[in-house]
Amino acid sequence: MSIWNYVVTAHKPTNVTHSCVGNFTAPQELNLIVAKCTRIEIHLLSPQGLQSLQPMLDVPIYGRIATLELFRPHVSIQLRLKGEAQDLLFIATERYKFCVLQWDAESGEVITRAMGDVSDRIGRPTDNGQIGIIDPDCRLIGLHLYDGLFKVIPFDNKGQLKEAFNIRLEELQVLDIKFLYGCPKPTIVVLYQDNKDARHVKTYEVALKDKDFVEGPWSQNNLDNGADLLIPVPPPLCGVLIIGEETIVYCSDSTFKAIPIRPSITRAYGRVDADGSRYLLGDHNGLLHLLVITHEKEKVTGLKIELLGETSVASSISYLDNAVVFVGSSYGDSQLIKLNLHPDAKGSYVEVVERYVNLGPIVDFCVVDLERQGQGQVVTCSGAYKDGSLRIVRNGIGINEQASVELQGIKGMWSLRSATDDPYDTFLVVSFINETRILAMNMEDELEETEIEGFCSEVQTLFCHDAAYDQLVQVTSNSVRLVSSTSRELRNEWFAPEGYSVNVATANATQVLLATGGGHLVYLEIGDGVLTQVKHTQLEYDISCLDINPIGDNPNYSQLAAVGMWTDISVRIFSLPDLNPITKEPLGGEIIPRSVLLCSFEGISYLLCALGDGHLLNFVLNTSNGELADRKKVSLGTQPITLRTFSSKNATHVFAASDRPTVIYSSNKKLLYSNVNLKEVSHMCPFNSAAFPDSLAIAKEGELTIGTIDDIQKLHIRSIPLGEHARRICHQEQTRTFAICSLKYNQSSAEDSEMHFIRLLDDQTFEFISTYPLDQFECGCSILSCSFSDDSNVYYCVGTAYVMPEENEPSKGRILVFAVEDGKLQLIAEKETKGAVYSLNSFNGKLLAAINQKIQLYKWMLRDDGSHELQSECGHHGHILALYVQTRGDFIVVGDLMKSISLLIYKHEEGAIEERARDYNANWMSAVEILDDDIYLGAENNFNLFTVRKNSEGATDEERGRLEVVGEYHLGEFVNRFRHGSLVMRLPDSDVGQIPTVIFGTVNGVIGVIASLPHDQYIFLEKLQMNLRKVIKGVGGLSHEQWRSFYNEKKTVDAKNFLDGDLIESFLDLNRNRMEEISKAMSVPVEELMKRVEELTRLH
Amino acid sequence: MEGGCSASPPSEASGVTVDSGSGGASKFLANLPSRGLFSSTVLSSNPGGMRVYICDHDTSPPDLNRYSVVSEDQLIKTNQTNILIRSLMLKNQKGDSSSRDGKVSVANQGSRKRAAEKALDKAAGKKAMSSTQLGSSQEGSSRVLDKDLDSLKVEKLRALLKERGLSTKGIKANRVGCPFERSKWVERLVKLREASTL
Repeated sequence: MSIWNYVVTAHKPTNVTHSCVGNFTAPQELNLIVAKCTRIEIHLLSPQGLQSLQPMLDVPIYGRIATLELFRPHVSIQLRLKGEAQDLLFIATERYKFCVLQWDAESGEVITRAMGDVSDRIGRPTDNGQIGIIDPDCRLIGLHLYDGLFKVIPFDNKGQLKEAFNIRLEELQVLDIKFLYGCPKPTIVVLYQDNKDARHVKTYEVALKDKDFVEGPWSQNNLDNGADLLIPVPPPLCGVLIIGEETIVYCSDSTFKAIPIRPSITRAYGRVDADGSRYLLGDHNGLLHLLVITHEKEKVTGLKIELLGETSVASSISYLDNAVVFVGSSYGDSQLIKLNLHPDAKGSYVEVVERYVNLGPIVDFCVVDLERQGQGQVVTCSGAYKDGSLRIVRNGIGINEQASVELQGIKGMWSLRSATDDPYDTFLVVSFINETRILAMNMEDELEETEIEGFCSEVQTLFCHDAAYDQLVQVTSNSVRLVSSTSRELRNEWFAPEGYSVNVATANATQVLLATGGGHLVYLEIGDGVLTQVKHTQLEYDISCLDINPIGDNPNYSQLAAVGMWTDISVRIFSLPDLNPITKEPLGGEIIPRSVLLCSFEGISYLLCALGDGHLLNFVLNTSNGELADRKKVSLGTQPITLRTFSSKNATHVFAASDRPTVIYSSNKKLLYSNVNLKEVSHMCPFNSAAFPDSLAIAKEGELTIGTIDDIQKLHIRSIPLGEHARRICHQEQTRTFAICSLKYNQSSAEDSEMHFIRLLDDQTFEFISTYPLDQFECGCSILSCSFSDDSNVYYCVGTAYVMPEENEPSKGRILVFAVEDGKLQLIAEKETKGAVYSLNSFNGKLLAAINQKIQLYKWMLRDDGSHELQSECGHHGHILALYVQTRGDFIVVGDLMKSISLLIYKHEEGAIEERARDYNANWMSAVEILDDDIYLGAENNFNLFTVRKNSEGATDEERGRLEVVGEYHLGEFVNRFRHGSLVMRLPDSDVGQIPTVIFGTVNGVIGVIASLPHDQYIFLEKLQMNLRKVIKGVGGLSHEQWRSFYNEKKTVDAKNFLDGDLIESFLDLNRNRMEEISKAMSVPVEELMKRVEELTRLH
Repeated sequence: MEGGCSASPPSEASGVTVDSGSGGASKFLANLPSRGLFSSTVLSSNPGGMRVYICDHDTSPPDLNRYSVVSEDQLIKTNQTNILIRSLMLKNQKGDSSSRDGKVSVANQGSRKRAAEKALDKAAGKKAMSSTQLGSSQEGSSRVLDKDLDSLKVEKLRALLKERGLSTKGIKANRVGCPFERSKWVERLVKLREASTL
């Protein structure tokens, strides 16, 4: 790999950090706004229709969102200005930027109402996260970003923001701050901890004129030791709820009411009623409670708490409407739930109506090729607590096999209905080289052979289709047969002229177009029991393929025909019924078109043209004049392609059958290509029968398969819920198993206990097939599949730590060596260590372990009795904690807890490990990877990436001993793991096939790709990125350059030697004018830019 | 001293099943707010793609020149007046106004003055303290982190922590996403570093 790296997101963040509800997009529209760390999603709650929660927009934010609030500024009445009709969105980012956003419905744009930098030069960032709150009467925005400071951004009487100022806050250990409702002066309530760890609340009025606090109306000392959350209650009550671990308290200047609760940590709340009499509370076990404030007018009489049921562990709760609630989660899938008035059989009032996939936190993952197709899949350890799961993430679309039969030599397939208005297909016509067989569903829902009397079954069928008037049409080499679909008898037949045979044919419900030798093109129309030859023309060359798929207003009749030609290698458009030539497009090259298809996606008509060498050309087709534009060429495989449309979930897609079957679909009015997880498909036709609804019939490798297709999307994710938290994962090819280190939280016992396991899973079914429980207090830290010198067996090695409650740092651990025998984990050897085994690597036929501060090498020794043991060979001290280790040859790269990256070398002769070089920056590492011999990649806990380079040519020892920082970049994500590999099939003939990549997984559920580019391509894309920055602006006025700058407490420097692939690839989403603008600035044609960017999109 | 993420207290909840014996929630779940949305009994949301917003208009905030409605530049900055100085000025003003304004009761005046003084004293104290801390820790940290880290043993680092008066109780913040959340030591080191970069 190289130092010029391209970073791109393959799977966007899915960890829901915040959510809120309000009228953002229009005064009468209710929106759910969901923040997923660096993105916000705007949904519309629609009153009826199929989609109750309608996704509107996915907005990237150049920052990690720290706070998100909807509000509506008040405008003073004296000014007689119209008040704001809709809500504004306040966002503050972790890097101390904030913005106020407004939706402009007319232009469909997000407008910046205000923005600013709220950082202070001096100040210690708060421990418990940033707080951003808005006064309910919209007099000011309050921010608590640094210990001992409260920042105020006041509103003026027109709803505009004014200069911000700081107020000293005496309380240093703040847990929460909220504004109280109904106060004549803006009043905050502060929950804090004193230096004796007791917790109290206090109120302050904000004196805007004096820019200072005034003692507030009340305070309350010595609350629940676990009090962590404040909920301000709206008028008429205007008090505050203090949520503790064992009690909930309602407090105001005149009232104090408390109730005990079962011990729990409340992670999120959502207000149900506008007057704040009911709240939903979500706890750390995913239990949802209803908190009710009973009151008589303005007097609170008591609190009630009721358990409603279980959800994912909530990070945000938003009551939407009509008992429907959005539960956002960081540790599991987010959910849409309905609160039922009556409990179900299990006593739960919660009904989950929708789940939204969340991969976060990805703590570990591995890249495997389970189907052995040369395409990587990522298997992640996702989620936490009870919501822990494995997720199998793969690029492309899966076919879920329903039935299959062995059938050799299929030449074509078509499905037919028994009546024109029948919603389901009945017959499946399968054509072979010298016969045609008809399959149909019988009464037992089995596929059995049948007959259509009117069809000719002794010859190959060239084409079949349902025709109008309850008819079927069959085209063979010498005739076109029109058959009644009810009586199945022949009604009419058209014969090819003497001496000519039909080579290719196509049809729709009312038309037939066929070509015979000698370039003859014949057009027939289908009537009730009659076939009429309407037109005939002769072209100069033979015809290789045809299509008359209706894409106009009439679904049964096409006004255009597409024709692919031999000899001059062109594709032509003819008008129907007169067969007048309209357009001729030479394809270039020497490969003939093998399949053409007229189709329409998202209101745009296309002509697709597949060549004999696996390339596909697509054109935008102007249906009124038949002109072709925007020619694009992609490589899908290496064999001839046949194209066919099918529908899934009410959308039309195209299936390209070849050696690399692909589904072509459209998103954002762009054509996208997704692999299908099948090896080679020769033919495909949709087969929507009553027994197999929405299925496809697929001919592959001597087999006919009926299967359903996954949702059409780029990445497909399969979930394996574990009910426990998987922390490490590793695959063993030889035994076709996965091994994981996991822990199960025991909620039922009185003590909050956890149990740790090593589990063995089948790599196809993902079932637990064997379990090795770890000791009490022992937890799995690392896992590896490896073999040793002089031993042909493969083993799973597991590194553990004993985490004793009284110890600061583990002083004992184990290395366990397992073999898989008869599907069981067999412990072969174990070795006690003097600390936590943070990392294990296979190294020169030995085992390299990172144990606390030390790197330790173990030999695999054969004892006299034939058993094996791990024997310590040598080690290396000098780390704070050696957390992450990667090796290459004799080199060892160590990522330290706080001392960045160091490079060690193993000296065979001396049997010793020595340090060669190190990076002297104080980076707190979260992951490392070796890109190539000289370049190492690191991720650290301020969400940055960086690369360092070994300096072998340095003149002095000092120079050689220093790893030079060559690349720096702010990713904005906490990376837990890097792995070499790719999510996509690497085609040897494409340029991107040569680009090496590393995959990373993050806490927010992001899967990303880092690709090392050749220098000239890097330079080109850097220029493109620079130009894109001028055109694509950061929402809320946030700067892309600042966002990507490397940032920690010590320094902020511009990103270097990393490019933002997400920005670069958004070039393809720009409108034509913007593309032209960039093309002009770059002096590169738009087509060339598009081609180069499109190639990059195929990296992930 | 408890283990990092297991800071959560025990829960009696059996998890999945809900005690329906009381059946009490029903009466509280009546009359949930509704504006008529989600009224269809069959709920289905679109799993398909959501349009990705591409922002190609100017997103800088409105300033005085561009919009007549705007009374103030909406690129917000923070007032740079030192809090201490502001507090002093405030005190002076208050002193002036209260001596002039006869209507303010003596008691009130006294308490206010005291509060202000108190705040001032505290602020001054804090300031002084933090500035010395700042100096020493900056020096200390750069020296420690860049030079002597190699020679620093864990025990010494631990002592360093204590020296800085850092809490021995870990942060409750959940570090479940990060693989080494178990180690209290990591949390403390995080605190150490935060202190060193103050």
